[in-house]
Amino acid sequence: MGRDARPKKSLGASLHSRIKESRVLMVGAGGIGCELLKNLVLTGFGEIHLVDLDTIDLSNLNRQFLFGMQHIKKSKAIVARETAGKFNPNVKLEAHHANIKDPQFNVKWFKGFDLVFNALDNLDARKHVNRMCLAAYVPLIESGTTGYHGQVQVIKQGETECYDCNPKQVPKSFPVCTIRSTPSQPIHCIVWAKSYLFAEVFGTSEDSSTELDQGQNEENAQEIANLRREASELNSIREKMDSPDFAKCIFEKVFGRDIDRLLSMEDMWKSRKPPTPLDHAKVLEEASGIGPEVAREDQKTWCLAENYAVFADSVKRLSQRMLELKAKAKEGDAPPILSFDKDDEDTLDFVAAGANLRSHAFGIELKSKFDIKQMAGNIIPAIATTNAITAGLCVLQAFKVLRNDLQSGKMVFLAKNSDRAFNAEKLAPPNPECQVCGVARVSVEANIAVATLGDLIEKVVRTELGYGEDISVLTSQLLYDIDYDDNLDTPLKELGFEDETFVTIVDEEEGEGVVPRANLEIVVTHSEELADETITVPEKIEIPRKPKRSTAPEETTGEAIKHALEDNEDGGVAKKRKLNDGLTFIEDRPNKKRAVVPDADADLIVLEDDGAITID
Amino acid sequence: MSLCVNRLQEERKQWRKDHPFGFFAKPAKSPNGGLDLMKWSCGIPGKEKTIWEGGLFKLEMIFPEEYPTKPPKCKFVPPLFHPNVYPSGTVCLSILNEDEAWKPAITIKQILLGIQDLLDDPNPDSPAQVEAFNLFKKDRIGYEKRIRYIVRENPAP
Repeated sequence: MGRDARPKKSLGASLHSRIKESRVLMVGAGGIGCELLKNLVLTGFGEIHLVDLDTIDLSNLNRQFLFGMQHIKKSKAIVARETAGKFNPNVKLEAHHANIKDPQFNVKWFKGFDLVFNALDNLDARKHVNRMCLAAYVPLIESGTTGYHGQVQVIKQGETECYDCNPKQVPKSFPVCTIRSTPSQPIHCIVWAKSYLFAEVFGTSEDSSTELDQGQNEENAQEIANLRREASELNSIREKMDSPDFAKCIFEKVFGRDIDRLLSMEDMWKSRKPPTPLDHAKVLEEASGIGPEVAREDQKTWCLAENYAVFADSVKRLSQRMLELKAKAKEGDAPPILSFDKDDEDTLDFVAAGANLRSHAFGIELKSKFDIKQMAGNIIPAIATTNAITAGLCVLQAFKVLRNDLQSGKMVFLAKNSDRAFNAEKLAPPNPECQVCGVARVSVEANIAVATLGDLIEKVVRTELGYGEDISVLTSQLLYDIDYDDNLDTPLKELGFEDETFVTIVDEEEGEGVVPRANLEIVVTHSEELADETITVPEKIEIPRKPKRSTAPEETTGEAIKHALEDNEDGGVAKKRKLNDGLTFIEDRPNKKRAVVPDADADLIVLEDDGAITID
Repeated sequence: MSLCVNRLQEERKQWRKDHPFGFFAKPAKSPNGGLDLMKWSCGIPGKEKTIWEGGLFKLEMIFPEEYPTKPPKCKFVPPLFHPNVYPSGTVCLSILNEDEAWKPAITIKQILLGIQDLLDDPNPDSPAQVEAFNLFKKDRIGYEKRIRYIVRENPAP
């Protein structure tokens, strides 16, 4: 029996041939990516491109099964291609060890695919691919897992919600006062050690970057200098990096004098437990005889002296590295810095010990290095099984897209703690308020070295598209509005335009009976062939008007704030997912899976004529 | 266009149409000529009939990618002598803390008015710099004298 026989039999001849002819892109070759690539290759997708900028790390190997020990430090994309290529020689595989945000991966390139799969681990890249797929009108299958939870979503411009139609949860940040002055939990001290202490001593100092305002008279200048001195004290300690007393200097400042200073603000400690400064000489004595090897005991909670030993030793190691970097740096280079990386033992030791020393001073529970690594590195456990199931769901959704049957596409949730493993929802229509997919689009070509912003605004936006005077023009920056016309004569290139640049036009016309246009996204592509300032508009488009609800920020009173928040909820921006139209698998007959249908109107799983089980 | 940039553009428009007297707020000009909406330079006048009257204090507002889910960071440049301002210039105020009173609907105008209120009404529960805080607590006359001096050094135009 040939390699194709089984997939052909189970998927049906027409879908199978469409799969064989398809050209797909997979972004990310990590946890989900390895599983997904295996699925795509074995299903027989004709041509698969994979993009990943990452290299293989030891900690990947428990689940990213296309990689082995011998591949550590090699490109994920390239090794994944080599390993998975052997599974099915009929599949054409192309690997790009690159960042998906690189300019080579432009809208035109995305247009060359029938389907794109996201198998990414970060919000930024997901949003980027979402936007590129919308602009290229290519369907996207977005997926993600955290621990036992997985999620798969089908996205198509104009037909479904896009990735940005609903706001995404972002990790909470901590108030600066809690971190700098009044920590009460281990995480506060960990954030302090990682984002403040480490950055001030070995990274980019927040305070060194601000400039002093000149031209004040003496007393004021002196006062500001006092504030500055307090803020930059650590920075001047940095100068002593080559001294054997460096660790002592840091210690005495942050665990001694700074704590004293906090204590001097007595009111702050009326309702809080005051901290106790640490005495360097005493701690040093206790720590004598504790060797640096204690840092390896990462599951144990170190005592004060052990933390000191690790602190002093990590300061030594990090200083050594900094001094080496400095020696290597060329004249005119920016001064070298180190950044925190949970997998960099030196930085982790410094942060773990620094956090624990602070916790000790504030009477907060100490943590083991292992725990601190999880917390400082925001590690979410990755589970191979969740990734495998999620990657499988991606392929099932891909079948529907290739059949042009988006109506039966689903948003699928995988969960461990609910009654059912899978919960599926119909794909929601686009959110008309979405700033990413709810825009009109037009593509133009221009020679960006010649054509100016004024050319773009006058010739395209006003003349061709019929906009009035009151508009705002933005890239990631504001280039023009009615009060800011400095750039009209500047060639686009000097304004930061590249080979492909997205420009947003916001219609600001207001007044009785005026409904402004929906935001317009112009993709400006550079063309060397255009010798003059001509800008070519290939398509004539009608730009729809904005939906009625306004997104204007509300006015001053507290009441208004309250209303604005309520509006948001009504408008469905903060929409909660319903979980009641899902499905459960029950093994009640040999070799047959059947869906239990919880709601009368939800028909959930079907055995298709061609034998494939799909979630429907 | 990201949600963040969209909102900031809207904020600029609202500010252009209407803003409180004596204040200013404008996005910083970036090297290639555009306006960087993620970084605004602002000016806050001292309130009338307070010891801060007649002063204008410059403040930088830096917006994170996650704005308006997360609040901007507000920093006096140069740092200001005030009990609730860190030595680095960063303002400690509940509406600027995600965990406390920050709400995505709070506008730039509301933030600036909130900081203006804070000038003459320091919060004794969140001291941020020792010198101003202790002077404020222990020697009110000396504190007020100092503030008047600072006002003279930072006159409103």
